[in-house]
Amino acid sequence: MSNIAKFLALDKVATFFNIIKQNGGIRGSLFKLYRQDELKDGTLVGEDKFGNKYFENPRYFYGRNRWVEYSDKFHMNYDGSQVPAEWYGWLHYKTDLPPHLDPNRPKYKWMKDWNENLSGTTGQYTPYSTTRPKIEAWEPKSKSTV
Amino acid sequence: MQAIKALGAVAPSNLLSALRKGALTPITDQVRQTHLPAPDTSEKRPYSPFQKTTNMAEYAVARLDDLLNWGRKGSIWPMTFGLACCAVEMMHIAAPRYDMDRYGVVFRASPRQADVMIVAGTLTNKMAPALRKVYDQMPDPRWVISMGSCANGGGYYHYSYSVVRGCDRIVPVDIYVPGCPPTAEALLYGVLQLQKKVKRMKTVQIWYRN
Repeated sequence: MSNIAKFLALDKVATFFNIIKQNGGIRGSLFKLYRQDELKDGTLVGEDKFGNKYFENPRYFYGRNRWVEYSDKFHMNYDGSQVPAEWYGWLHYKTDLPPHLDPNRPKYKWMKDWNENLSGTTGQYTPYSTTRPKIEAWEPKSKSTV
Repeated sequence: MQAIKALGAVAPSNLLSALRKGALTPITDQVRQTHLPAPDTSEKRPYSPFQKTTNMAEYAVARLDDLLNWGRKGSIWPMTFGLACCAVEMMHIAAPRYDMDRYGVVFRASPRQADVMIVAGTLTNKMAPALRKVYDQMPDPRWVISMGSCANGGGYYHYSYSVVRGCDRIVPVDIYVPGCPPTAEALLYGVLQLQKKVKRMKTVQIWYRN
């Protein structure tokens, strides 16, 4: 029986409805498509302190089977740099252990909170030189205004 | 605090005096005027960067700008300007794996219809006039992405006799993508950063004042 269903690709139909259901019905799915251009089903692996959710589904091809859904408060302004360092390794297959299951992660009190890329805002990093310039710009003497 | 004071004593006096005279103020002032305030991590971020409108007319021009910027950022057409090995990575973002087409980024081989020029690779003295000419042929609004160390500041060829030390000596650059060469991912991130920049352009709003 299940063989016939598989032959008729009914399991794909079931997956489709499952995806719709998991993403919050038709309205929720349409919103996710608008926001993320992608509709996937997966198991929630964890959530970081910014509210980003991390998912995994081995059914998808390697490279696409781990993904992040950015926190709702970022709305359309999400950005790859909003993934904190703890989750970066898991998301990029450097490790299979997510941070809350990995006992070997360093934790020191001097470690700063993760900060996203602030380019284009007042919080951006602006480089400056601390050495004396090797050349001196020519500033022509202004003619006396009198 | 002690350590900072000790450092201050060690630093060369001309540097300190330069800082005291306000060597950094032009930079910080410019940042304050053209940049958005740093986002609060706990706050919900609205779609539009133009939120503080005081009256109806201002609201209208802000929304018109939003519409214009939405259209512009969704169809950034780069001019293909591959100069060196960075161009190979630039080809990668057009290929299926990174697929720039999903952001509406389509290579256009003519400067007349292009929005952005991706300077990919070493800019030599011989190529510089051609680069400038192509840039001048692009219609406004136009942007430039400088890709790779060589285009950013000469990179490996900084001390060569025949290389321009950074394409920002020839054209104004919006986004610098570091790397030698930058990965296709990095270049795509640069394109996304450019989208962010396009999003806060004030095209209609500058014509309104109350």
